[in-house]
Amino acid sequence: MSQFGSGLTLFLSLMVEAMPFLIFGVLVSGILLLFVNEQQLIAMFPKNPFLGALSGSLFGFLFPVCECGNVPVARRLLIQGASAPVAIGFLLAAPTINPVVIWATWTAFPDQPEIVILRLVFSFAIATIVGWVFSWQSDLKPFLQPNIAALMIASSATSSADAPETPSFLKPGSYFLEPGNPVALEAANLDAVLAIAAPKPKSIWNRLPLLLDNTVQELREMGGVLVLGSLLATIIQVTVPRNIILAIGQGPVTSVFAMVILGGVISICSTVDAFFALSFASTFTSGALLGFLVFGPMFDLKSMGLLLMVFKPRAVFYIFAIVFQLTLIFTLIINLWIS
Amino acid sequence: MLTKRLRIKLAPYLADGLATLALCMWGVLILQYWQSGKMGLLIHPNYYGLTLAAGCFLLMLTCLQVLKLWRRRVQARPQHLSLLSPPVMSGIMLVAALIGLLVTPRPFTSQTAIQRGLQDKTMVTRARPQVFRTTSKPESRTLLEWIRTLDVYPEPDAYAGQKVNVDGFVVYPEQLPDNYFTLTRFVISCCAADAYPVGLPVKLDQSRKAYTVDSWLAIQGEMATETLNGERQLVIQAKSLKPIPEPDNPYFY
Repeated sequence: MSQFGSGLTLFLSLMVEAMPFLIFGVLVSGILLLFVNEQQLIAMFPKNPFLGALSGSLFGFLFPVCECGNVPVARRLLIQGASAPVAIGFLLAAPTINPVVIWATWTAFPDQPEIVILRLVFSFAIATIVGWVFSWQSDLKPFLQPNIAALMIASSATSSADAPETPSFLKPGSYFLEPGNPVALEAANLDAVLAIAAPKPKSIWNRLPLLLDNTVQELREMGGVLVLGSLLATIIQVTVPRNIILAIGQGPVTSVFAMVILGGVISICSTVDAFFALSFASTFTSGALLGFLVFGPMFDLKSMGLLLMVFKPRAVFYIFAIVFQLTLIFTLIINLWIS
Repeated sequence: MLTKRLRIKLAPYLADGLATLALCMWGVLILQYWQSGKMGLLIHPNYYGLTLAAGCFLLMLTCLQVLKLWRRRVQARPQHLSLLSPPVMSGIMLVAALIGLLVTPRPFTSQTAIQRGLQDKTMVTRARPQVFRTTSKPESRTLLEWIRTLDVYPEPDAYAGQKVNVDGFVVYPEQLPDNYFTLTRFVISCCAADAYPVGLPVKLDQSRKAYTVDSWLAIQGEMATETLNGERQLVIQAKSLKPIPEPDNPYFY
């Protein structure tokens, strides 16, 4: 009974502490998605692949979305003509390199600034490296799903070197007829349709109901995941015997593997995952906590389905194989040589 | 036929209504914790304001949603990608909030203290002082201040004979003899999830059975050194043990 009591206290404390950060993240990303003109921003990205990957990784500062929101935004960036390094850098870094997440991580680890700083450095390095690696593939289309590739062609008419024989809107189906930018009304690219259709209301007042809708939907979705995540953290804390947790958590290698895998499996939102990690702080190595905080936001089972609508499975596999290996290298260096 | 059409028509209202109810309950729960003073059991006082603002925001969101539903502005629209269906997500949030409203949270007990490593030597080093000042009077040090002092200058004999005046709750550690218990407090830096226990052994003239586990005591006595488990340790030689009610805010920061 006392175990249930302390489990409940643990669970509620995670929820109550994380709730403001969740709300803040949802609200800020909603406001930016609805009120900022992405195309103007995209035009400002550098053309150099490395600088592109670098600036794409930093783009999260302007678009603080967690991993639940980054795939649709990355897809919109691609469709609206951003280069692959920019889009991939953004995809991987935005859930971590943004003010809300930095604030939340700082809140959770006030006594361990190294966790906050290394989380940022590692995420930034991994996102930039992977984005840069993908820039060597000059034509990204073999990696993209056909409908996204078609949309890219339709929107960036300037890259006409390999324009398709038939314009995409000559294929059968229904389309949103944007001037020079037809969008097929298919289930698979609903978000692309929305992306173009959503910011249409002209006045700020007309956009507010959209913001309200967006906020409620996201809070419901991520709040639900937060409940499940906090529940899992609590159950592990309360039921798994301490000697087993210590045996796994104190090993420099086992702890990293355990937390990286946990980070991949659990779909907890990056704005609040620092609080989840906090409940393991006393038993797991710093490298393992970092592994969780770096890999978790990048790899998300929940958004895999959405990501596979943008990239072909092969590309998704490459991206995460590199991300996984880089995370292991960085965190094992911390565990084996530094701390 | 009619019911089916009605169901299709009502579905968006139901989904939105459930989500609104769930968010509303979380707002109510947060305000209730704040109002009843239970917030201190869950989070560090630094974050009261933030959490309170979140609670108010959730209630404001509820009002806007109710207004929207009232004006029938709801239409079926593409949902975000979901792990589970939206009503299930709302249901999960709602149930969690209701459990929070129905069951009062309790502070951590001795079992958690042992689970969280009260007996591990390494734990003490986490009590990094933000500001360190030596309190001139030993008898005005709290339990945490004693631990921090000991952490900075870990020579037990240096403190022998000093007066002690501390409070905390009783934990029976496995490795200590029957006339010892550990007087314990939890320290938190963000929320209860990171609470870790600090404690000092208390030496009694009788069996510890006289003091039940988890009961709160104010102890006065003197510091002494003893060899326990082959290690010289600082212990409190108790002179007076007075039961006290559990404090409203049981943590150290």
